[in-house]
Amino acid sequence: MKIDESMLKHVAEVARLKLTEAEIKKFLPELKEVLDTFSKISEVDTKNTTSSYQPVPLKNALREDKPKQCLTQEQALSLTTHKKEGYFKGPKAV
Amino acid sequence: MPSVTTFVKKVHSGEINVVEHTAKVLQEAKKLNREYHYYNTICEPLAKQQARAIKKNPKGRLAGVPVSVKDAICVQGVESTAGSKILKGYKPLFDATVIQRLKKEGAIIIGKTAQDAFGFGSFSTNVGLDMKAPINPLDPTRACGGSSGGSAGITQLTQYPHLSLGESTGGSIAAPASFCGIPALCPTYGKISRYGLMDYANSLDKIGPMGKTIEDIALLLEIIAGHDPKDSTSLTSKTESYSKSLTKADHHIGIIKETLGKGTDPKIKDMVLNTIDESEIKHASVSLPLTQKYGVSTYFLLAMAEASTNLAKYCGMRYGKHETLKGSFNEYFSKVRSHNLNEESKRRIMIGTFARMAGYRDAFYLKATKIRTKIIEEYKKLFKTYDVLASPTMPIIAPTFKEIEKLTPLQHYMMDTMTVGPNLAGLPHMNVTIGEKDGMPVGLLLIADHEQESTLLKAAKVIENVE
Amino acid sequence: MSNEILIGLEIHVQLNTATKLFCSCATQGSEDPNTRTCPTCLGMPGSKPILNKAAVEKALKLCLAADCTIAPELIFSRKSYFYPDMSKNYQITQYELPLGTGGSIKLAKDKSISLIRIHMEEDPASLAHLGSMEKSPYTLVDYNRSGNPLVEIVTKPDMHSSDEARQFMKKLITLLEYLEIFDINSGIIKADVNVNIKPYPRVEIKNVTGFKEIQRAIEYELSRQKQELKEKKKATQHTRNWNSEKGITTMLRSKETEEEYGYIIDPDLTVTDITDPMLQKLKAELPELAEEKINKFTKTLNVAEDHAKIISTDKAMAELLERAAKQVAPDLAAKWIRRELNRVLNYNKKKLKDLDFDEENFFKLLKLIEKKTITDTTAQKLLEQFIVKPFDIAKYVKDKKLEAVSDSGSLEKFCQEAIKENPDAVNDYKSGNEKALHFLTGQVMRKTKGQATPGEVNGILVSLLK
Repeated sequence: MKIDESMLKHVAEVARLKLTEAEIKKFLPELKEVLDTFSKISEVDTKNTTSSYQPVPLKNALREDKPKQCLTQEQALSLTTHKKEGYFKGPKAV
Repeated sequence: MPSVTTFVKKVHSGEINVVEHTAKVLQEAKKLNREYHYYNTICEPLAKQQARAIKKNPKGRLAGVPVSVKDAICVQGVESTAGSKILKGYKPLFDATVIQRLKKEGAIIIGKTAQDAFGFGSFSTNVGLDMKAPINPLDPTRACGGSSGGSAGITQLTQYPHLSLGESTGGSIAAPASFCGIPALCPTYGKISRYGLMDYANSLDKIGPMGKTIEDIALLLEIIAGHDPKDSTSLTSKTESYSKSLTKADHHIGIIKETLGKGTDPKIKDMVLNTIDESEIKHASVSLPLTQKYGVSTYFLLAMAEASTNLAKYCGMRYGKHETLKGSFNEYFSKVRSHNLNEESKRRIMIGTFARMAGYRDAFYLKATKIRTKIIEEYKKLFKTYDVLASPTMPIIAPTFKEIEKLTPLQHYMMDTMTVGPNLAGLPHMNVTIGEKDGMPVGLLLIADHEQESTLLKAAKVIENVE
Repeated sequence: MSNEILIGLEIHVQLNTATKLFCSCATQGSEDPNTRTCPTCLGMPGSKPILNKAAVEKALKLCLAADCTIAPELIFSRKSYFYPDMSKNYQITQYELPLGTGGSIKLAKDKSISLIRIHMEEDPASLAHLGSMEKSPYTLVDYNRSGNPLVEIVTKPDMHSSDEARQFMKKLITLLEYLEIFDINSGIIKADVNVNIKPYPRVEIKNVTGFKEIQRAIEYELSRQKQELKEKKKATQHTRNWNSEKGITTMLRSKETEEEYGYIIDPDLTVTDITDPMLQKLKAELPELAEEKINKFTKTLNVAEDHAKIISTDKAMAELLERAAKQVAPDLAAKWIRRELNRVLNYNKKKLKDLDFDEENFFKLLKLIEKKTITDTTAQKLLEQFIVKPFDIAKYVKDKKLEAVSDSGSLEKFCQEAIKENPDAVNDYKSGNEKALHFLTGQVMRKTKGQATPGEVNGILVSLLK
């Protein structure tokens, strides 16, 4: 399993993190060490084991299709300054 | 030190003037905060308003009780940052369900406590950028433990009756409780609603009560536990009166032998064994080979994979930290995130992103979910014979800040070796203080089967009574 | 020799539930931006999703109607990607185990379009821009749409022309309307279109909105690839964007720069069991679908296949025919519904189900037509008025004396009058000019105030002029 600088940069890009050169230098050996240790889980035999996505059995949490009180436009926009005429302002889409 | 129940009685009767009392509590909080940094926010106006309301109408099982809340739990209108700079300014438009339940019983919310950003840490030293790490109440050179460090610290140090809401994903209730010397309980996954809890890892996060006495946390648990239709992963089982179930019972304790090996301070190991011996509870040595060998790796891969998706929403839109809207969306998002997330957050996001990437997903994320099944099976086998499992809560006493600085990330993660097991398996577990080493508290971890919080509390009472 | 064309569609259909997929915000109502939102669909930290039961049932109905193999449980995944319209920067969708796999939609007797899968997912927000998307300094985001319940229908590349694609879309929309899971007036249909002319590799055109645009995009892309083939240009598998204004597709990205979606099972949601009793109940609720109606009309009621097919594309119309066929001859009813009713509805830009339709009086009209009490022309005119505002047909006909002049006695009288009054025309006709006969017919029609059947008049004139 290869963790090199280009892989690190790729992962950072996927996660929308812009790393400085210093950060890359610091993270690389740390991540290598961590992932080397973590990859020892391959030793465990899980051939016939099903996955547990939650630790306790939980099923069928559903809700009735009835509209409830929602936020006013003002409330929805109240936590940001990036807004205009009822819309949220976001960065360019291209 | 009066229990919460005694205090509440006095508030109901008027013997305690809740408005004056709350003012004193706030005063103490501000004073302590200058030195100990337990609170990110002290909500003075809200607390005073609540106190006035209680004085007018002294009702509720927690009437007038000061409660601190981990910063990752949403309190409406109060800055809630989950310990991260990227959420500075986020004042939730809603209360977490646990907060609603607290308010309903007359509790007074004093403030939002300091934590590792998003829960990423075992010492509360990975606080957000520009934030200060909370300091151990018993030794200012040492850390509180994490990630619910601020909650544990103030609970120990305050001279007034106090309750706190902590949160645990891999051990963040038990660890700081152990290092600060207080009882605390992490309940079964799903027992307490996560609605309003800012996510670290959704299949692992649990809110839990922290307090000065076992009776106090039993009462708090009773009030906040129970099904919540707003949380899909909330258990639907009936609520219990935990505060009334602190009666004597027979127990059979399994002491997890892998936790008493060379990674653990020998003094701590001795204290654990002696305490259980002296409690006269029937006990035996048990083994959890899979959990203890692969638990940490399994936990972190799963937790970080989920966390990396949970933290994707923090990108400078709609709430929290913003920057000037310049450049394409990728540039803007990367800028906001890189400037405002701390080092550990970045580290975990990257490991988590990697763990679910095509080509690695099977070996890491999916594999971890399968090992989790086996770990749960391993515990369940033991619970056929034993009703409580025991181990030290942490392998060491609270470390100094200097010692922590020297740790690599991997060494930091390995500190959770005792607590990741029950957290992965969603099992309820508790910290009980069993003594001191070098002036610092030592904690015993008790683990029970799913939804056996009563068993846990009963056993904890017996342990507590051992001299 | 023309190269094989492969077209596959990934269609996103908005289900017509009252609330969104994972929160209780209304899906209809105010169109002012950000007036139907809550912490969940705004992706605010601390909020949690809860699955809408009705959305699951509607999606299952579609899977049942399309003959899909249905999964034993419903599981959602997180698909991570960053974009300004994503409230959480991950979309809750289905990856590992789609709700339905396989299945098909029949186009004609011997042609079906096979489906790969049908699954559920949430809609992102909608974006607006000051001016064009390229030039705007920022994006404007409206989260009213964020969290709307979608089903995604993925077909195999079984369509081999833009016409087949159009037919498929039409059949799909008919099916959705019959199942009452999609509101054609307010619901949105979007598609990712996969199209290639062999030997070129697959090209994906992303996010085309609306039935017409999907057609236009396919047609443009086919002509573009044809041209490239002609010029012997090289092509790679890539993604394109449809520019509706300019009517062209432009390259978005190549396959190498595909997103890393990093799927995980969504741990905030529980597994939903899809049980046999649940499916039986939903099956029982399925209406008779278009195919079954076509069969019934052609086999049992002897309606012409053409009429049956066209009428069955509209559920309300098909059900109207079923009832009308009890009042008058089925084929007559079919003819008038398929041609005249459709014509008038189209002219008024209305759909039958949206009208306050007076069925009683419509049947009365049909009866008058059948009995030949009024001419077809009269009936047409009455229908035109009737759609705009219903009225008592029988009474009106009587009051305005619109009964057809069809008794041959008075008709013959009018014909003889016309012949007498127009000797030049008669001579023209006798010299071989057919047009003169039309003129004479016209004169008779005038005398009957239009209340005669031209064909009949024609016949009488011809025999009189022999």
